[in-house]
This record gives sequence, C-alpha cells and structure tokens, in this order.
Amino acid sequence: MTPVIVTCGLSKWYGNVLGLSDVSLEIEPGITGLLGPNGAGKSTLLKLITGQLRPSLGTVRILNQNVRNNPSLFHRIGFCPEHDSFYEEMTGWIFLTSLLSLQGFSAQEVRARAEEALGIVELWADKDRLIRAYSRGMRQRLKVAQAIAHDPEVIILDEPLSGLDPLGKRKLIRLIKTYREEGKTVLVSSHVLPEIEALTKTIILIHQGKVFAQGDIHSIRDLIETHPHMVSIRCAEPRGLAVQLLEKECVLKVHFGPDGRSLLVETNNRDQFFTTLLARIVQSRMEVDEITSPDDNLQAVFDYLVGK
Amino acid sequence: MTASPPAGIRSFPSSVGRVFSVFFQQGRRARRTRFFWLFSFLPVAVSLVIKFNQIFSERPGREGVYLFSNLIMLFYLQMIILITALFFGTSVCLEEIEGKTLPYLLTRPVAKAAVVVGKYAAYTVIMIGMVSVGLVLSFLFLNLNHLSDPSLYGLLGRYLGVLILGLIAYGAFFTFLGSAFKRAIFIGLLFSFGWENVIQYFPGSSQRLAIAHYLKSFLPTAAPGGRFSFLTFRLEPTAPRLALLVLFGLTAVFLTLACVLFSKKEYVLED
Amino acid sequence: MTIREKGYSHWDGQLLERRFPWTPITRLGIRLAFRKKYFRFIFFGSLVPAVVFLVGFYISERLEDFQFMLQGSRRILEVNPAYFKTYLSSDFLLFMIVMILVVSGAGLISDDLKHNSLQLYFARPLTKAGYLIGKASVVVFFLLLLTLVPALLFIVFKLLFAGDFRFLAAFPWLPLSVIGYSLFLTFFFCAYTLLLSCLSKNRRYVSILIFAIYLFSDILFGFFYETYKKPGFALFSLKANLQQVGAWFFRLKPAYGIPWQWSFLILLALGVSAVFVLNRKIRGVEVVK
Repeated sequence: MTPVIVTCGLSKWYGNVLGLSDVSLEIEPGITGLLGPNGAGKSTLLKLITGQLRPSLGTVRILNQNVRNNPSLFHRIGFCPEHDSFYEEMTGWIFLTSLLSLQGFSAQEVRARAEEALGIVELWADKDRLIRAYSRGMRQRLKVAQAIAHDPEVIILDEPLSGLDPLGKRKLIRLIKTYREEGKTVLVSSHVLPEIEALTKTIILIHQGKVFAQGDIHSIRDLIETHPHMVSIRCAEPRGLAVQLLEKECVLKVHFGPDGRSLLVETNNRDQFFTTLLARIVQSRMEVDEITSPDDNLQAVFDYLVGK
Repeated sequence: MTASPPAGIRSFPSSVGRVFSVFFQQGRRARRTRFFWLFSFLPVAVSLVIKFNQIFSERPGREGVYLFSNLIMLFYLQMIILITALFFGTSVCLEEIEGKTLPYLLTRPVAKAAVVVGKYAAYTVIMIGMVSVGLVLSFLFLNLNHLSDPSLYGLLGRYLGVLILGLIAYGAFFTFLGSAFKRAIFIGLLFSFGWENVIQYFPGSSQRLAIAHYLKSFLPTAAPGGRFSFLTFRLEPTAPRLALLVLFGLTAVFLTLACVLFSKKEYVLED
Repeated sequence: MTIREKGYSHWDGQLLERRFPWTPITRLGIRLAFRKKYFRFIFFGSLVPAVVFLVGFYISERLEDFQFMLQGSRRILEVNPAYFKTYLSSDFLLFMIVMILVVSGAGLISDDLKHNSLQLYFARPLTKAGYLIGKASVVVFFLLLLTLVPALLFIVFKLLFAGDFRFLAAFPWLPLSVIGYSLFLTFFFCAYTLLLSCLSKNRRYVSILIFAIYLFSDILFGFFYETYKKPGFALFSLKANLQQVGAWFFRLKPAYGIPWQWSFLILLALGVSAVFVLNRKIRGVEVVK
C-alpha cells in the first residue's frame, strides 16, 4: 500500500530544547496510533505533519505533496487540535459552518455537511447554544466534528478522546474505526494505552522526541529480543509443572505466585515454549485453569522500550 | 457524502473573500463590537449636548461647522480611530494566537496571507461602519440649521474620507504590529499617543514621519490653540494626491509585512 | 529514623494558618510584572520626575550658586506644599501610572477569568476579599513606590539639605498630606484597574479600556471647557478630579473653580461601583446563560 504520510529525518528544536529527533515514518491508509507519554513529542509531530510548524530538519509529505505553505492540501486533511480553544462567542452551529465556509463549500453544502457532522457527534440538539456553555465532552466532540465535517481523506486527531466519558469514548472509537473501512488514513495520538489498543494494532511509539518503534504491537513485541516473554499459568500443581518446564532450554526462569496456584514463566522462545507446555499438559493430564501472556500488550511493550 | 473539491478554492481573492465573510459575521456580532459602537457614538452624544445647549441657551454659540471641524473631527482623528484601529488591527493576528484558535485557520485550504488580508478587510469594514455612522450623525446634529446647504455635504464627504483613510492606514499598521509583537497594544499606545503626537510639533520633513500628518493634510483648516494644544500643531501639509499615495502605500507595505510575518513566523500558543 | 527512611507521615504539630493568605498572590504578581523588560523600562522611566524634583530640592538650597540659571524662575523652585502637590499630581506621573496599569494591571483579574483560575483560588483557604486584596496589593506596591516613597524621600532630603527642621516646622501637616494623597491616588487607581480588569477575559481589551477611559475623560473635559468655559466640566476628567482632591490635601486652592468635595464624591462613586461590580464578578463558578 502506498504510504499517505511520509516523514524523512524530521527534527524540531525549540531553541536548545529538542522537540523531535530524526523521525522517519511512512503511514499507510488505516488507523495508526501515536503513543507516548506527556511531553514525548506527539503534538510536535502532528503539528509538523500538518504544516503548523516548520521542521528544523527533514521533510513531510502528505498524499505526495509538501505540506508547508500548501493550503489547498487541507481540503483533504482534517485536524483536531489538542487545545480546548474555540471562538467562545459562537454557537456550535456557527463555529462549524464558519469553518466549513473556509473550506470553500457552497452555502447549501455547508449546511448539509454541518448537519451531518453534528449528527455524527451527537451535538445536533445543542447546536444553537454558545460554545461557552458546552461541557468538556461537548467541546471535544465539536472539535472532532470540525475535523471530519468536510469528509477529508486524511484525519489527524490529537488526543481526541480526552475529556470524553466512557460512552462517548466508545462511540468515537467506533466512528474512527468506520473510517478505516472507508479507506481513509487516520492518525490518532494519545497517552492512554487502552484507548490506542482499542483503536488499532498499528502503533508508533514515541518518547523524548524519538520514535522507539513502529508497526504491529505483536510484531514489535516479538522483536524485543532482550526481554523474555512472560507466560502466566494457573493450575492445581504449579510446582510439578515447573519441574517439567525447567528442563527445557527455552525456559529461563520460573516464579511462583503468592496464592500457590500460579506460576510465571520467562521464555526466550514463545512458540517453542507453548508447544512444549501443551504437550506436557496433555501428557500429565494436568488441570489448567488459565494461560495468559501478561506482557503481550502495549503497556508492556512501552515499558520495555522506555526502559522502566 | 463524497469529497469533491469546491470550485475556485485555489484562488487568493476567493480565499480572502471566504475569510472576510466569516470574520465579518463574527466581528459584527461580537460583544466588543458593541462597546466600540458606543465608543464611536460618544462624539454624537457630545454633539447632542452642544446642540441642545445651543437651542435652549440665549447665547448663539459657535457655528456647527466650526465645532465639527475643530473639535469633533479632531476627537475622531486623534482618539476614536486610533483606539478603534489599535484594538481591531492588533486583533487580526493576536486574537487567534491568544485564543489558541490559530490551528483552525492554519488547517483550512486558505493561504495564511489570505487570513490576514481577509480579517483585516472584515474588521476595517466594521470599523468604518461604526465610525462613519457616528461621524455623520455628529455632523448632522451640529449643523441641524444648515442641512439645506449643499456645500456642507462636500465637507462631510471629505471628513468621512479622511477618517476612512485613517482607519485603513492605522488598521494596516496595527495589523503589522499584532503579527510581529506579543505586546502590540503597548507599542501601539506609545506610537499613537506618543510618537504621533510629539513628531507633529517638529518642523520640516520630520512631520512626515507620522500617519496623522498625511490625514490632516486633507483637512480644510488648522485647529486653534489653547486647551487643545496637544491636538494642534503647525501643519506643513503635504499635497493631497501625494498624501493619498503615501497612505495607500503605507497600507500596502504594512499589510504585506503582516502577511509575510504571519506566513513565516511560528506562533507558540502559550499563555 | 532518618527522613529518607521515614517516608510520608501526617504532620502531628499545629497547623498554622498564614495571617495574610493573599501574600503569595501579591508576590507572584509583582514578580511576573518585573520579569517583563518593557515594564521595567516604564517603571524606572516613571521615576525620572522624582529625580528631577530631587534636583530641584538641591537647587532650592543653593539658589545663590544657580542665580545665572534662575532669572525669573525662583518661584518655581520655592519648596512648599505646592511643590509636592505638583509632583504627585503632575500630568506626566499620572500618565505613566496609567501606562504601568496598562502593562501590569490589565491582566490581574482578566487572565484569571480567561483561564478559569478563580476556582483554583477559591479551592484554597482564601476568601473573595483576600483574593481582591492580593490583586490590589500588586497595584498598591507599584504605585506607592512611585508616589509615597519619592514624596517621603523629598521631605527627608529637604531636611538633610536644609540642615534644620524649619521646613517641617512651617508645614507640620505635610507628611500626613503626602501619605494621605499618595494612598488616595493609589486606592483610586486600584479600584479603577480592578474594575476594568474584571469586565473582560481579554487582556488587550482591558488595556485599551484603562487607557481610553482615562484619556477620553480628559479630552471630554477639554472639549466642553473650550466650548463653554465652565469649570464644572472638570468633573468629567479623572485627572482633573484627582488634581482637585490633591489641592485639598495640600491645603491649596483648587485649579478649577468647583468644590473639591464634588471631585472627591465622583472618585468615591467610582470606587464604590468598583467594589460592587467586583463583588458580583468574582465568583468561584461561572454562570453561563
């Protein structure tokens, strides 16, 4: 698939402070999660991608065009900023229709698109209230509405789920997922791991201005050879099972749980280990309650990569 | 809904027009605009007071044209349009930066220069509307007894033209200040009530370093001394055509500088 | 057990409440103002008249040495209560005070309204009065440095240069007048600034209001005075009213032929309306209709 967003050696300094360092990315259609703690450089990267900031080094291209000083490209790009800022004296309707007017649509189309967008984010009933009177969640939804109202091909959302209640988050996640089916490119940033995990498996991990990893969560996990995989097994005879497993080369360590019914195995070859484990369980007819991989998730990947 | 690019989105004038439309509507409705309407109408209230006093007083008092030319007009020229242009001019860029609404504009298919020009045009039209109505009403109230005299309207037209030129020129200058400096208000106040006042008392060509000089070159008579000495000066006027050229030239220069700065500068959205 | 090993533990001792809970607000306001270069420029520029007047004190004690310069001007350098009143109510000083308020006073409350900080303030053991006193104290600090401190120093230097207490014996009430008028000026400008600052969340707008209202009131006075030649129009001008009250403080004849009490009442009315408006506007919760 042709990448939609391409950055090459992108770096940004704020005086002596390094905001972003040598970021080279290729983002393809679909949903990509941009994950990192506060101050990692996510917003800086998104602002560079949307041309709001000038790179100190490197280039950014979207849809094979330079972003900086290329306003016509923004007909195909939608951006939801992180700041909770609006033209407070406007109503939600006027805000949205004003921004749609700037897109160059006719009055009729502006109305139609605004109606649709407000309906999608469930703000239609409050469209004539002043933005000043909106709750935090309503304001966030309005921000998303202005990013999607003109039906862009590329949607860049900076912390879109912040301020939303759990139901609101679920609805927005569902909405974002529909864009993947439509073939759009969505880049979503967040510092909340479960949010990103719920949205996509394709992530970019960023920390201290550098990209630590990019790709599928599981693939990234597998690539981290320095950290063994953890497998947790809950069974009736954990010690007996441990004795059998420790004979295998792929098993590095075994820890016993405090409840006396579980063991945590560290292995450097997950596939081989699972083959062995299943064989042993069948052979010994052992009762096993649960087998999980506690570190096969984004949190563990992130913790490993940032060295916590 | 399919995303078909609207016709003519690429042209600069079209972008300016869209920005103008949006910010004219917004500016018209804004609370601050109501305050500046009131502010622009203060001379109208003063004119009404003077007129009522003339009507009910036994003394004839000064002629309306005299009062208008030497007091009301200078009131507008050296206070009302300066304060109004300072606020609206600096707002073109600064309100987006201070309000952190800049990303909404920068991620639209409009050139940054079009944002500056469009907003400047919208706010200038609003200012001209406010000030013109006040000026015309003041003039009419003060000259209530001479409204049938056609020569008065020529005078009114000239005064109106001077104020409009002033708003255009000062608005452009303050737009440039707003794009260049965070504390544009402070610099603008120093310029308007410091530099513009002081430099006009200097002889020779030094007077030409003030925008007010070119505006006053269009005015028919010099103002009297006395209490209003800070409003008066020994004018060595520039020829009207040259003054007009200079004012439009300054407007173009400052607007261009504002556009260039706004396009090139990176604005950090902080408190 | 060392502190490092002890970890967190609840304080067993007595919880002492700060006597003036608003002092951190004042300290922060002053520190933030002095961080701005242009504020320092205006502030120290405002002290130039004080230096000039101080030189005047010196010359007044050495009149013989400056005969060649002073021909016809001896009256200007006569150090008396009018000299002090001239300094404290001079056009330049009042103008610079307004500029200082534009730069450092406009954002005192408007920034808090813009960022919804009032809830943060009132979630602390701080009352509305404490908050307003804290904010007002920032203005009080700067204005007293420009008015009271130089004026008291003038008295000290006059006594030093004269080498005796004859001056104070001639005008024993002068220190009280200096203190009284400085405080009056300061509290008026406090009320004026805070009133305008609470009217809007936009600091630029407030800056313009502070400057425009002061200037406009004076222009309006000049306008009507020039037209009708009636001193009563001085009541329109904030500057003229301040000067009228100053004349009373220093036992001088007011410049405009109207009783100083009217000027005082106008300024007092502004102060009272400031209190009223501030009481309504400063709330922990914003009510949006």
